[in-house]
Amino acid sequence: MWRNVAVIGVGQTKHGRRRDVNVAEMISEAAWRAIEDAELAPEDIDAIAIGNMQGFGGVCQAELWSGDMFGAPGKPLLRIATGGTTGGSVAQCAIYQVASGLFDVVLAIGFEKHSDSKEPGATMGLAHVGLANLFHLLECGVDMRTSFAWGGGVGAAAGVSAYQAANYMHRSGCGVEHLDMVAAKSRSNAAKNEYAHLQWPNCTPDDIANHPRYGKFAAYPLRFGHICPASDGASAIIVASEEFARSAERPAWVRGLAACADEENQMAENAQGVAVVDSSEQIQCKVAALKAYRMAGIKNPKKEIDVAEIYQPFPHQELIYSERLLLFDDGKAWIALEEGETQIDGRLPIDPSGGVLSTNAIGSSAMQRVAECALQIMGKAGEHQVPKDVKNAVAHGWGGSTNFTVVTVLGDTPRLRR
Amino acid sequence: MAKEEKRKETLTVEGDWPIGSYVYKAPPLYKELLACYKEKKLIGSLCTGCGMVYVPLRNICGRCWRKIDTRVGVSDIGTVTGFTISPEIRKGEVKVMGIDPVEAGWLEEGERLIMVYVKFDGANSNYTTILMNAKPEEVHIGMRVRAVWKDEPEGKLSDLQGVEPVKQLQHTT
Repeated sequence: MWRNVAVIGVGQTKHGRRRDVNVAEMISEAAWRAIEDAELAPEDIDAIAIGNMQGFGGVCQAELWSGDMFGAPGKPLLRIATGGTTGGSVAQCAIYQVASGLFDVVLAIGFEKHSDSKEPGATMGLAHVGLANLFHLLECGVDMRTSFAWGGGVGAAAGVSAYQAANYMHRSGCGVEHLDMVAAKSRSNAAKNEYAHLQWPNCTPDDIANHPRYGKFAAYPLRFGHICPASDGASAIIVASEEFARSAERPAWVRGLAACADEENQMAENAQGVAVVDSSEQIQCKVAALKAYRMAGIKNPKKEIDVAEIYQPFPHQELIYSERLLLFDDGKAWIALEEGETQIDGRLPIDPSGGVLSTNAIGSSAMQRVAECALQIMGKAGEHQVPKDVKNAVAHGWGGSTNFTVVTVLGDTPRLRR
Repeated sequence: MAKEEKRKETLTVEGDWPIGSYVYKAPPLYKELLACYKEKKLIGSLCTGCGMVYVPLRNICGRCWRKIDTRVGVSDIGTVTGFTISPEIRKGEVKVMGIDPVEAGWLEEGERLIMVYVKFDGANSNYTTILMNAKPEEVHIGMRVRAVWKDEPEGKLSDLQGVEPVKQLQHTT
């Protein structure tokens, strides 16, 4: 049995290239905004959880020294890193702490500052997580051509995702034009979100496909225009117990949450070998979704979920994960996309904020999914508020290689007790 | 997209980066694997718990979390289960770890590299490698391919150079 928990405040910085602040100042901005949004004072915060993608910023490791920039002195501070899922894991950590009865108000922060290193993400981040897996094979006489295959030619997550896109297209029957449609939807939604990075008002699929630069293939079937940016940014939420949340105007209640890992779908050590299941299957997401929906008392997610925020740095992932979150039948998400069901004013809006495709400050990305769902429920999303009453929203994150999933279900009423 | 910011060179440190001498070494079972590569053979490890065959070798089964010590031979013919294709890569366009892959001779000028997942017959896992002797428009999921070995293998991972379409091989033999 756990206590009811709600998100009562959300804070985001403008995401993009933030040369005007350092890492700690940027985190501080998001933390302040969340505390102000919750109408609390810093001393009301009992504990803090924070996280980013380890090593990708390239410099500083700010979470190790900047506690006093976000109100942590004298308080318990936890740092969490699970790759892309980090922000979602940090949010869930804060939820655990309040649900358990340990604390009443916890601040959860996700951040990333890519622009401090010369090649965002790549120089330090990939050297850190990727190349060490290659170097030790040099003594086995690995050749560089094959190692390109392990990286999919363009490196790491983008490389793995290119295979994943080809697999999804093969099993669902969708084409590259559907990836253009997702990318265009994301960019034009981002134009309505003041905190988003790549904003392109009224972007159409043709704008992406026929663009001299973005229309080119980075690694077939992914075009340059299909790839997320490397952003700077931080986002934060305030998670509070029922007692605190009751005084908030319209809190976003946490109705269910789950995390699940499936290592069988990824290339393992040395980037090869274990991919037993193809990486577009994402069974762990289905398992996490089923668990979270059961906890939330949601029996028919297709009807009961009003809006979804999916972690989709590459467009096919919006399609895969919307199916795995049981919002569409297997292999049918692209048909709903064609019919406009997933637009902001559609039947089931997906990523009205523009999603990760338009803004990717990695540690902040999965946190923003939870934050955006909360904003939609609170009715505070502004220009990208979906034009309907939002009762249930689902926030998703993927990370690790292609193996981790976090799912958090928020709603306008507290979780039912059974 | 974001404009490239001009960065001032503040400090340059000269030195060596002995990347071949990392303390984290390849697992000992790679010796076993490479001995087979020298004979142009593929082997896999069979989990007696769930029947999974992993190629290349692995000593713990992820599915049932038990040790694997059984080896089985695996066909060098297999099926493409996933793919991606690089754009034409030209000198001065891409850098990997600060090295230009065309200048270093890893890729040919203007080459489009076709990268594939292959499930060799008798294996359950996918091997990631290069598709050779095929045009980008020919590659598809379900394509039958055969391993391409170096003429004189030396017991190195690079002995397995990639795979090529089976059909073409039948015509030439």
